[in-house]
Amino acid sequence: MKRSFAVVTDSTADLPDDWRDRYDIQVVPLKVLFGTETFRDRVDMTDEQFFRRLATSTTLPTTSAPSPGEFAEVYQRLARDHDGCISIHIGAQLSATAEAARVGASSVDGFKVNVVDSQTVSMPIAFLCRIAAECQSLDDATAAVEQRVAKCRVLALLDTLRYLEMGGRLSRAQAMIGTMLDLKPLLLVADREIKPVDRVRTRARAISRMVEFFNRELPVEHMAVMHAQAPDEAERVAAQLRSELPDREVTVGQIGCVLGTHTGPKAMGIVYLKK
Amino acid sequence: MVATAGKATGVDGQLFKRALLGSLNWLAANHEEVNRLNVFPVPDGDTGTNMLLTLQSAVEDVKESNAAEVSKIAKLASHGSLMGARGNSGVILSQIFRGFARAVEGKSSLTPAELAAGFEEAANAAYRAVNKPTEGTILTVAREAGRAAATAAANPDANVPRVIAAAAAGARAAVLKTPSQLQILRDAGVVDAGGFGLQLILEGMLKTVEESEPALAPVRSISPASQVSLTLPEGGWGYCTEFLIEGNNLDTDLIRSQIESLGNSVLVVGEPELVKVHVHTDDPTSVINLAGGYGRLLKLNVGDMSTQHRRILETEGVAPDARPPRPTGPGLAAVVAGRGLVDIFRGLGVDAIIEGGQTMNPSTQDMLTAIESVPYDEVILLPNNGNVVAAAKQVVGLTKKKVHLVETHSVPQGVSAVVAFRPERSGEENLRAMRAEAERVQTIEVTHAVRDTRSNGVKVRKGDVIGLINDRLEIAGHDYSQVIKDALGKLGPDAYELVTVYRGEQASDDELARLESEIRSNYPSLEVEVQQGGQQHYPFILSVE
Repeated sequence: MKRSFAVVTDSTADLPDDWRDRYDIQVVPLKVLFGTETFRDRVDMTDEQFFRRLATSTTLPTTSAPSPGEFAEVYQRLARDHDGCISIHIGAQLSATAEAARVGASSVDGFKVNVVDSQTVSMPIAFLCRIAAECQSLDDATAAVEQRVAKCRVLALLDTLRYLEMGGRLSRAQAMIGTMLDLKPLLLVADREIKPVDRVRTRARAISRMVEFFNRELPVEHMAVMHAQAPDEAERVAAQLRSELPDREVTVGQIGCVLGTHTGPKAMGIVYLKK
Repeated sequence: MVATAGKATGVDGQLFKRALLGSLNWLAANHEEVNRLNVFPVPDGDTGTNMLLTLQSAVEDVKESNAAEVSKIAKLASHGSLMGARGNSGVILSQIFRGFARAVEGKSSLTPAELAAGFEEAANAAYRAVNKPTEGTILTVAREAGRAAATAAANPDANVPRVIAAAAAGARAAVLKTPSQLQILRDAGVVDAGGFGLQLILEGMLKTVEESEPALAPVRSISPASQVSLTLPEGGWGYCTEFLIEGNNLDTDLIRSQIESLGNSVLVVGEPELVKVHVHTDDPTSVINLAGGYGRLLKLNVGDMSTQHRRILETEGVAPDARPPRPTGPGLAAVVAGRGLVDIFRGLGVDAIIEGGQTMNPSTQDMLTAIESVPYDEVILLPNNGNVVAAAKQVVGLTKKKVHLVETHSVPQGVSAVVAFRPERSGEENLRAMRAEAERVQTIEVTHAVRDTRSNGVKVRKGDVIGLINDRLEIAGHDYSQVIKDALGKLGPDAYELVTVYRGEQASDDELARLESEIRSNYPSLEVEVQQGGQQHYPFILSVE
C-alpha cells in the first residue's frame, strides 16, 4: 500500500541506502566545498573519497546547506503524487538546512510540507524518518516525530576537537577541554547544544567511557554505532552493545562527508533515542 | 526640483542589472572581510562566501537578459538567488530579492519613491521568512536601509542616487549599531557579518549609479571595508601556516609531535607519500625548516592572523588566562614548575598555580595564598610532588574554604587527575574520579645523580643518568634514551597505550629526537606524544597510561 505523504530528509541523516529504498525516503544533499569546488554529499563524492581528499587537501573544506530552491524542486516533484510531506532535518543550531527547507516549502503553493527541526544530527534523524514512514497519515507522522525530537541523542567521541573548533561548531569555552594535551573529547548533542561530557587521554579508554555513559542512558528506543573511517572499532562497540542488549537491533553506520568535515577522521559515536 | 540627466531618473531593467553587477563586484572584493566577522548564528567564517555565491547565482540569471523592465530583472534575480542560496545569510538575501521582486511586479521603471518602497518591502519579506527574527543581524540592517531610503524619497529633491545613497548610509549606521543589539557580537568585538554584507551590496549599487551620474551632488565616499578593528595582543596573533610535504615513508605522528612544539591548532594528516600540515605559529620559518627536512614542500601558505579577526577566538582559547570563569566551584589549585607545564595545567582548567616543585618546595603560606585567590569556596589542591605533600596537608585546616587534597606525587599524576576533573560535578565526586585516575598512570622521571649511592639494589655514581619509576630509583645508565627504554621495559609496555613525554629545560633537540625514535622502534604499539614541559632538573618526565 502506497503512503499518501512523502518523507524527506537531508544527507546529514546518514540514512542507510537500504532504508532509503525500503521506506521510500527522499534525501536532499548538503554540500562540501574544497575551496571553489563543490560536491553534493554522497552524490558527487563518496565518504571514502571525502576522507581521502580531507587527508591531502591544503585547505580545510567547508560545508553548506541545500538552497531553498533545491528544496522547492524536490517538493514540487513530490506534489505530483503525494498529498503532503514531512521534511525532517539537521538541527537548526548546526545548519541552515531546516530554514532553507521552510523557505523552499513556502514557495510551493498548495502542497503541505511539515518541516521538522530535529535538533540533532546523523542517524537519529534516520530513525525519525523511519518512524514517520511507518505512520498512516501525515498528521500521525508529524506528531510521532515531533514527540521524539527532544529524545534524540548523539554521543560522539572525536579523535581530535580541531575540526569541530575550526568549523566553528564548538564554543571557545567548550574548546578549552582540548587545549595543549591531545585529549579525546566525549561530546553529547542534546537540548540544542554540544556539551562536553568527558575527556580522556587515550582512545581505548575513551571508547569504554562512551559505552559506560550509554549504559547509564538506558532504556533507549533505537540505537546505532556511527563511525568515520573506523569500521573495526565500530563493529566491536556494536558487538558489545548487542551482547548486553541481545534482543535489540544495533545498526552500524558511516558518517558522511558534511558531518565528517566537522568531526574529522576516526570519529565514533553511539546515537540513540531515549525512551 | 533639479532635473537630472541620464538613466538614473528612474530605475529600469538595465540599470538595475548594472547595479547588481556593481554589488557583486564590491562584495567579491570584500567578502573575506565579511567572513572574518562571522560569529553568529554559527561562527564558521563563511558568511561572506555564502552571500557572494548567492549573489553570483542571482546575477548569473540576470546577466544574459536584455529586458528593459525592472520587474523582469528583479524576478530573475529572485529566482537565481533562491536557487543558489547558501547559509543563513544567503537564504535571507534570497528573501530580500524575493520581496523586492514582488514589490516591483509589473513595473518597467521605478521612481525614487517606488525604489524606496521596494527596499522596504524587501526587508519585510526577509522578516517574514525567518522563523525567529533576531535584531542586530542582516534583518535589522535591511529594515534600516529601507527606512532611510523612504525618508530620502519623501524629500522634494529626491532622485535615484540619493535614495540608494540613503539606503547605503542607513545600512552602514545600522551595521555599526549591531554590537549593541547582539551580545555575541559585543563579546567578539565585531559587527554583524551578514548585515555588513548587505551594506556592501548597497554600496556596490551606489558606486554603479554614481558612475552613471558623475555630476551628482557628492555622496559620502565609500569607506574601505574594514570598519572594525580590534586591539592586537602584544606580538600579534601569529601566522596560520599551511603546506603539503611530499616525500617517502613520512611519519605523520613524528612530524605532528615536532610541529606541536612550535605552535598550536596543529593538524598533520595524510599518507606516507603526502602529508598536510596546518599550524598557528609565531615562528613560521622554523616550521618550514623543520618540514623541509622531510621532503619537498608544496602549496605553502603563510597568513598573518593578526589581520584575521576571526582568529581571535582560537588564540584566546590558548592564552592561559582567557578562560571564562565557571559559574560554580569547586576550583583547582596546583603546584607546578616549568613554563610549559604551567600552561598545560592552566589549559586544563586549573584556577591557581603555585610555582614550585622538586627543589623549590612552596611553603604552606604560598599554597594558602593561592587557594584564597581561587573564586570558589571549595578547592581541590594538587601537590604534584612527593616533597610537597606534607606542606599541602597543612593547608587543609588553615582556611575557611573547604580544601580537598589529591595526593599527586608527580606531574603525570597531576595531569591525569586534572583531566578527570569535571566542573559540573561535586567536590566529592571529583575527588573520587581524580584519585582513581592519578593511580592509573605510571610515572618515569629521568635526572642525574648528585652523588654516589646505592638504592633499591641499583648502584649509582655521581653524574649518572638515573630513572625513577613512581618515585623509586630503578635504573642507572649513561644515556637518557637507554634509561627510558629500560624503564618502559620494566613497566611492561604491552599493558599501556600512550606515553607522554614532558621535555625539560636541559634536554636538547637531538636527545628528544633520539628518545622519540627509540621508543617508537622498540615499542611500536605505544602512541608517543611530546609536550614542552620546561621543568628544571628532570630532562624528561614520562607519563605511561
